[in-house]
Order: sequence, then C-alpha cells, then structure tokens
Amino acid sequence: MLAKISWKNIWRNPVRSFVVIGAVIMGIWALLFLMSFSNGLISSYIKNSIQNETSHLQIHHPEFHKDKEIKYIIPEAIDLENELRNDPMVKSVARRTLCNGMASSAKGGRGVMIKGIDPEKEIEVTGLDGKVTQGKFFDTKKKNPILIGEKLAEKLKLKLRSKIVLTFQDAQGEIVAGAFRIVGLYKTGNTRMDELNVYVKDSDLSRLLNMENSSHEIALVLKDFEQTKPLAAEWKKKYPELLVEHYGEISPDLDLFQEQIKINMSIFIFIVMLALIFGIINTMLMAVLERMRELGMLMAIGMNKIKVFGMIVMETIMLALIGAPIGMLFGFLTIRYFNNRGIDLTSFSEGLEQFGMDNFVRPEIGSDFYIQIAIAIFITAVLASIYPALRAIRLKPVEALRKI
Amino acid sequence: MKEIVIKASGVHKTYNETKVPVHALRGVDLEIEKGEFTAIVGPSGSGKSTLLNIIGGLDRPSEGKIEVGGKDISTLSDNQLIDFRRENIGFVFQAYNLIPVLTAKENVSFVMELQNRSKTEVDNRVKELLDAVGLGDRGDNRPAELSGGQQQRVAVARALAPKPTFILADEPTANLDSTSTANLLDIMARLNKEENITFVFSTHDRRVVDRARRVITLVDGKIQTDEHFKR
Ligand SMILES: Nc1ncnc2c1ncn2[C@@H]1O[C@H](COP(=O)(O)OP(=O)(O)O)[C@@H](O)[C@H]1O
Ligand SMILES: [Mg+2]
Repeated sequence: MLAKISWKNIWRNPVRSFVVIGAVIMGIWALLFLMSFSNGLISSYIKNSIQNETSHLQIHHPEFHKDKEIKYIIPEAIDLENELRNDPMVKSVARRTLCNGMASSAKGGRGVMIKGIDPEKEIEVTGLDGKVTQGKFFDTKKKNPILIGEKLAEKLKLKLRSKIVLTFQDAQGEIVAGAFRIVGLYKTGNTRMDELNVYVKDSDLSRLLNMENSSHEIALVLKDFEQTKPLAAEWKKKYPELLVEHYGEISPDLDLFQEQIKINMSIFIFIVMLALIFGIINTMLMAVLERMRELGMLMAIGMNKIKVFGMIVMETIMLALIGAPIGMLFGFLTIRYFNNRGIDLTSFSEGLEQFGMDNFVRPEIGSDFYIQIAIAIFITAVLASIYPALRAIRLKPVEALRKI
Repeated sequence: MKEIVIKASGVHKTYNETKVPVHALRGVDLEIEKGEFTAIVGPSGSGKSTLLNIIGGLDRPSEGKIEVGGKDISTLSDNQLIDFRRENIGFVFQAYNLIPVLTAKENVSFVMELQNRSKTEVDNRVKELLDAVGLGDRGDNRPAELSGGQQQRVAVARALAPKPTFILADEPTANLDSTSTANLLDIMARLNKEENITFVFSTHDRRVVDRARRVITLVDGKIQTDEHFKR
C-alpha cells in the first residue's frame, strides 16, 4: 500500500517528477559517455603502446636497459626463440637486434634507435606492415632496405627511395656507417616513437655490427592477453639469468593509465552523484513542504513516522529507478553508435598523436560499470531522500493541520 | 453501568509561541460517556479546537491530564501517540482531509490497512460504510471528483472504518452548504446510533448544535454550560 501511495504521489506533479527523472537520465547518460570516452581514449593508448612498442612480454639481457650497449646480448637467442615459440601460450615471437645510432641525410642528422628485425616475424608480433603508409614493407630484393617513420622523413626531408646513412659503433667499438635505401614510410600514431625508431633487416644490421646471430630483444604476443602477468611471473623464475618483463614493467605508464581509468570512474561517479543529490533534495523538499497539511493529517490519523519516512524515501527511489534504465539505455546506444563510428579528434590530433593516441576515439565501457551506476544511483536516491523525509516526520500534526 | 470514554481533569493550555502567552484553556473538567453525540460550541477563539486536539492526543495540555478508556495518554511518547490515535480515535477535520491520490474506497480503507486488517474484513467494511454514507457508487472516485459534502462523508466513513473508541470532528460542516450539512448530520447521528460510536464535534453553527444530545459551551477556555437534550 505504501508503494502504491508513493507511486501515485510522484505523479501529482508530473513536471516536477520529470525534472528529477530527467536529471537522473542526463546524469547517467553524461556519466556513461564521459567514462566510455576517457576509457576509449586511454585504452586506445594502451592498445597502441602494447601493439607497437612493448608487445605483451619482452626478454632482454638484465643489463640491457641501463645504457642499451650492444654487448648486452641475449645468450643463445635463437634457441630461446624457438623454445618460446613452442610454448602453447605463445602466439608469436620476434627477435631483434638493437642499436643506437645516427641517421643522416643531406639536410641533417638525428639520433635514432635502429631495430634489426626479421620482417616476417615482426609482422606477426607488431603488425608493422599495417602501419606502412608509403612504399612497401621490406618487399624488396635490394640491399640494405630501411623503413622509417613519416615524421623522421619529414624532419630529414627524405622521401621514398631516398638514401639515408646510419652511423653507429660496432661490436669492437669501431664507428661504422651504412647506406640504406628507404623502401617504406610508416606511421603508428605515436609521433615521438615514429621519429625515433627505424627498422632494418636483422641480417644487414648484424653484418655491419660484426655480430652474427646475436639479439638484444625478444618480444612476444600471447594467445590470451590476460595471461601476461602470470606468465611473466612464471618465466622470471624459469629464466633467472634473463630479464623478463610484461608491458606494465616495460612501460610503467600503461599500468598507471589502467589505474587512472578506475580512479576516473570513481571521480565521475562522485561528481554526478553529488550534483544529483542536491537536485533531488531540492525537489523532494518542495514536494514535502507543499504537502505539509496532508502529511500532518496522515500522522494524525495514525500513519507512523517510519511509514511516512519510508513513503518519501520510496518516492525518491522510484523517481531514480524510472530515470536510471532510460539513462542507461541512452548511454548504451550513444556508446554503441560512437563505438562503431568513432569520434573524430583530428582537430586535436597533433596533441594526441604525440602521446600515441588515435585520432578516432571509440568509446567503450565494461558491462560491470552499468551495475556500478545502478548501485550508485540507488545510493544517491536514498541519501537525497533522507533530509526531505526527516523534514516530513519532524512535522507536528497540529501545526501542519493548522496551515492552510 | 455508564462507561467513561474520555476524561479531562483540570486541563490548561497556554500557547507561548508569541510574546504574549495565550491562555486557550483555563481549567477544563469533562467526562464523556460511550455513545454520546456531543457538540462543543462557543465563539471563535474560545478554545474548541485546542480542546479537541488535546483530547485527540494531537497536542499536550500545559497542565492537567487526559484519560481515554481509563488510560492516561499524557505519558505516551509522540510515536506511541500516533499508534494510540490509529487504534482508538477517528478524526474528521474541517477541510481537505482526504488523501488526494487515493480513491474514496482507498481513503476509507487506509487506516484499516495501516492496522494490517485482513482484505475481506477491509473490503466488507468499506462497502458497508460507503453505502451507509450514500456513496456506494462513488467508491472509485478521487476526492477531487467529489463535492465538499461528499468528501466530508467519505471522511466520516474513514473515521468510522476501524471502529474507533470515539470520533472527533472539528467543525466538520464549516465548509458545507446547508443541504450537505443536514445530510452529514443525519449520517453522523444514524451511525452514532447504529454502531454506538461516541461522537464529539465542535461547531458554531446553530443548525448543528440543535442536533446534539449534549451541548458543551466553551467561553474563554472554560466550560460555561453543559446541557443534555433528549433527541
Ligand atoms: N498554535 C497557537 N499559538 C498561539 N495561539 C494559538 C494557537 N492555537 C490557538 N491559539 C489561540 O488560542 C485560542 C483558542 O484557539 P482555538 O482553540 O483555535 O479556538 P476555536 O477553535 O474555538 O476557534 C485563540 O485565541 C487562538 O488564537
Ligand atoms: Mg477552531
């Protein structure tokens, strides 16, 4: 019966009820959209970073990170590569030779990270071929092919098929230089990285370095991304003489970002809840004050305070419960729409690309977040109803009845 | 044996809300027996509403005590008073005292439902009472769809529904035209006889006073006359 009266009461002033319902709808909608947007932005960054840079796992010589000297090679890297490739959890493996050097053109020079790769295997791990915007991905018989970032090409005023000279120290500490032919330009979406990394064939680099069949880095992609951290822990024990790291260790900002997503959610929820609470308190208070006489009469004829309190709380919860599913549906449809279509951020993309984010953000959000919102809205409604409900039961029936 | 339903002894009420204290009741002693049909009359400001509120447990006396069915109600807390009113007293107010979102039927059954009475009991009683007040066919109407007189008849039915010890009505006819007033009084008098329920109502309307079997006149917060009539 209480529920019936509450339900009828909220339709006494439909305009006012719709204001509350509308606020709940807008709040949830905005919440879902903002969350999915920031989530999409951050997860595009994480995905890109993992795809282009860190892969799921990497293995190095324990000293390698210190100054990236070429003497810190992975012992018996070829055997290890084959062993890892046969692990049932591993999807693909790429072995690389790395070396710091200088890339120069007629227009100038730049410090670069030269990555000697096996093109076939690199495709499986990073999909680098898909990032090629001009030319080909090492599909050439010519000697010393090189793939450089569009950004570097721009800086050094180089074009496809231009010649570029790489200078670096070989294994014996001698300065060596090699002339390479640009066969392709690539673009990953992270301009800082595109300026830094150049890709050559492992065989070409090893020959110039005077160190055949030795590698500095093994990058892996697993069949199940979720297994990355447990497997990293396992391999750390299995290969104590090597440095095994997962993406979060290679690039700690990725872990930070994942944490940030969670913090963002809480902050957004908190802000929206706070705004809704004040809006709802205000409206429900109006509804209570307007009904003073009637509430006084109800208590006079024997409706006890718990029931009066419950009635006001229930009215508030009902308003929220009408708004919540609608807001979620709007949010869900909006997210789905923009997820398919992507939100074009080209106008801001200079800034974003520098950080390795996509021009197209695809908002996305986990289904558990909807449950979180539902709980948050329920709590909001209960909190917001307490003050108006207290005001209602604090009425003295005689005084309330005297008011016309 | 006469059964005393309400007993007021030495009741004083002083309102201190304004700078000048208002002595609304100055020593009222009163006994009301079961089955009475009593009018409290007096000019405006004489303390009628104050007395009814105190008897009904809606307000507390500044001095003196009220016993209902032999029980001192001044010792009850606010919450206990609500329960006490629900179980013992039916109220009819001057105006606007139905629940606007509920139908006439639902208004009449409201208190019984608060008491968790069984559905069949409630349904039978509601039908019986709506018929008794001549609104058997208006049960599904909301208060706004009824005239003032009809609303007041629903209010009487609601007050009677849980078979309270007595019914208090503060100027129940003040907002009604003379036909509706006569009609309501007929109904109240009949139900008073049929159900042997005690009615105490205040009024300053001569036509209403003429229907009462006992008339208590209040002047300046004191009982001036207390007369019984055979009607
Ligand atoms: N809440 C109150 N505060 C102050 N004075 C009041 C209050 N209620 C009633 N009074 C005063 O008490 C006196 C009696 O009022 P009331 O019982 O309403 O009389 P009646 O119902 O006979 O018109 C009046 O003088 C009135 O102004
Ligand atoms: Mg009065």
